[in-house]
Amino acid sequence: MSTEAIAAEKPKRNYNALFGLTLLALLVLLWIILSVSTQSFASANNISNLLRQGSMIAILAVGQTFVIITGGIDLSVGAVVGFATVIAAMLINAGVPVFLAILITLLVGVAIGMFHGFGIVKMGLPPFIITLATLTSLRGIGLLMTNGNSISINNDAFQEFSRNSFVGVPNLFWMVILVGIPAYIFLHHSRWGRYLFSVGSNAEASRLSGVNVQRTIYMAYTLSGLCAAFVGVLLASRIGIGNPTQAEGWELQAIASSVIGGTSLFGAVGSVHGPLLGAFILATINNGANLLNVNAFWQRIITGALIIIIVYFDGLRRRGK
Amino acid sequence: MTSTAQELHPHPTLEPGRTILELKGLEKRYPGTHALKPVNLAFKSGEIHAIVGENGAGKSTLIKLLTGVMPRTSGDVIWEGKPATLATPHEAMALGINAVHQEVVLCRHLTVAANMFLGEEDSRFGILQQRAMVREAQKIIDGLGFDLPAHVVLGDLTIGQQQLIAAARATVRGTKFLIFDEPTAYLTRKEADQLFTLIRRLKGEGVTIIYISHRMEEVFELADRVSVLRDGTLVGTRNIAETNDAELVKMMINRSIEQVYHKEHFTPGAMIVETRNLSGKGFENVSMSVRAGEIVGLYGLIGAGRSEFVTTLYGRHRKSAGQILWEGKEVQVNSEHDAIRLGMALAPESRRDQGLCLNLPVGLNLNLPIYKRISRNMLISGAKEKAEADRQIADLRIKTPTRGALASSLSGGNQQKIVIGKWLAHGAKLFIFDEPTVGVDVGTKAEIYRLFGALLSKGAGIILISSYLPEVYELADTLHVFRRGKLVATHGFRSADHEEILSQALAEKQEKKGGQT
Repeated sequence: MSTEAIAAEKPKRNYNALFGLTLLALLVLLWIILSVSTQSFASANNISNLLRQGSMIAILAVGQTFVIITGGIDLSVGAVVGFATVIAAMLINAGVPVFLAILITLLVGVAIGMFHGFGIVKMGLPPFIITLATLTSLRGIGLLMTNGNSISINNDAFQEFSRNSFVGVPNLFWMVILVGIPAYIFLHHSRWGRYLFSVGSNAEASRLSGVNVQRTIYMAYTLSGLCAAFVGVLLASRIGIGNPTQAEGWELQAIASSVIGGTSLFGAVGSVHGPLLGAFILATINNGANLLNVNAFWQRIITGALIIIIVYFDGLRRRGK
Repeated sequence: MTSTAQELHPHPTLEPGRTILELKGLEKRYPGTHALKPVNLAFKSGEIHAIVGENGAGKSTLIKLLTGVMPRTSGDVIWEGKPATLATPHEAMALGINAVHQEVVLCRHLTVAANMFLGEEDSRFGILQQRAMVREAQKIIDGLGFDLPAHVVLGDLTIGQQQLIAAARATVRGTKFLIFDEPTAYLTRKEADQLFTLIRRLKGEGVTIIYISHRMEEVFELADRVSVLRDGTLVGTRNIAETNDAELVKMMINRSIEQVYHKEHFTPGAMIVETRNLSGKGFENVSMSVRAGEIVGLYGLIGAGRSEFVTTLYGRHRKSAGQILWEGKEVQVNSEHDAIRLGMALAPESRRDQGLCLNLPVGLNLNLPIYKRISRNMLISGAKEKAEADRQIADLRIKTPTRGALASSLSGGNQQKIVIGKWLAHGAKLFIFDEPTVGVDVGTKAEIYRLFGALLSKGAGIILISSYLPEVYELADTLHVFRRGKLVATHGFRSADHEEILSQALAEKQEKKGGQT
């Protein structure tokens, strides 16, 4: 019986790895189809553009995944991005050195994440509620600070960063790697990563095993806030303005990317590479649809249908286990 | 009461002694496992038929097949002379086959009445007849002799009371064949007695009862016949009058009963922990101590304050008064973290709610308390992580395909080994085991008891909480009896008899004397 069990276990593992590969395969398949069916897809210009488009959602999705693994949700990330563009723009225009301005903006993201942790751990609010509350109020605070106007950033070096490339790859995509590698090590090779999973699976069992559950929750939301603020800096650089209404609906794209990438909204299941692939699949669909002149309204419908299909098959795979 | 009962159970009187359900070569295979080897067995109406066996022996599989939760691989089920497919739970229920599960599967947020009529609500023109349903439910509950209100929310009742409601629910649906899966695991003695009364009454009405339990005395108290499963095979069926404890245990595990309670005696060493007049939520004024090499048993009914006492000791809840002395020095235990750092380990009562991360791998569960030790600068050493998990799996003989299998895929006994195993890897001076053998088979029990001996020999102390008297009686060097949040009596190893301890836990005599203490 034991040999049977061992034999049965091996394909299961491959199956798991296979799913990571199926997402990658899906992405490659989309690229091949689009390269063949359109003239402009495979152009260096368009690929760079695609990577830029996907990068920001990808970074948001990584932060979001940490939160979802603990069994929570962070609806505020889009608003944090918009708010961070305002903070960064104001600081840079006030003559604060760019480096310092970025650092302060990131700290603002950390503070927002800490506040979420506080609301959940100390006030006992559901994650959905506290992050929904900050979603609306951050937009409001941003609008108050800017009087509803956009702030143009007068710093060319700051803006050039997002347009430039390094060894042929857009800087924005390098930022995904900059975030992705530490995030991967953190989630899969550090004990804090294990604690995220254990808290998402069973908080009480984790607590009784000596895991600091409160600190783990603080950490997840802080990292999500940090990722969002970082994306805000990148967005400010890309569009050259600070505007609190930017990044509307990005939280949903981030959640969708995460879920397409195999994260379970019930917690305790997720990875770093999954959401990254998910984000670039979504970006490819949008990019390709534009090139194929698909009606923008249809693009939304297709994206929605795709989320249902991918997550359904993922569910089948899980139940199959 | 009998007349109301007849009104309430309108199903046709079944002719007792007639074969109602027959299994012919019933078989179930899962990929990689032969969970149930062909079983031939006939159940008669009006009999209480106990099914016993170790965890993983095939009892759950048999229930799942009979209730239509899972399809069989081969074989026939003959219901009242006709073959039944039992493809869906609905079909099983329509025939009159129902089950009451160990864990209550009802809606905690709905009222007792709403739960009783769930799925067959009384409505007029689409509007629920709520008051009528509450009245009807109350009538049924009163008729069964349960002293419970029908209008309260189910979650406000104790788990034992919820179990009674689950049983009551099963009886109102024209049930002819009712399966109880370890119904008394979380019941107090009084609740268990009420349940037994209900079961006997159903039997009197011709209902066939399948009673699954690990508790032998219940089997002998209730059953007419008993079938033993081992490794998916039906070992045999006996009339209860023609068998005994020893024979059944031997059939179940192929081993004699004396080998189960494994007790090693050590000379008590240094004091590990002492509480002085400790009070907290659910218990008050508890003074006790644990020495190295000693098992201190806490016996009492569920809800007597034992679990509350140990979780407070462990820092999960705040104490309201009293002192905790650790190795002679007073300490403040404000969190589980403090307790673990001092050298305590707690294997909690409920594996599902407190013990395990069920949808995570076995290895992660085993290593959860020791990730600090097996990582350097935040990064986990992959090799150490694997080695630690594999060592515990091998040492405790946890039956799992790999350390990567999900904890939920293991049987109850093996899950319990994980709960214990994670603390063995961590190490501790004081091990607290809260109901370590609930839902665990005899073979695993023996392994767990042997483990206690190994821990004691290394100079650890153990607090053992159990609602199962033979367990604490045979194992504890010092036995404390809890009743209603108070420590009411203390005995040495086997220094009092079962009846005395039981009456102290129940305290019927003391209560009759009226308010002396």
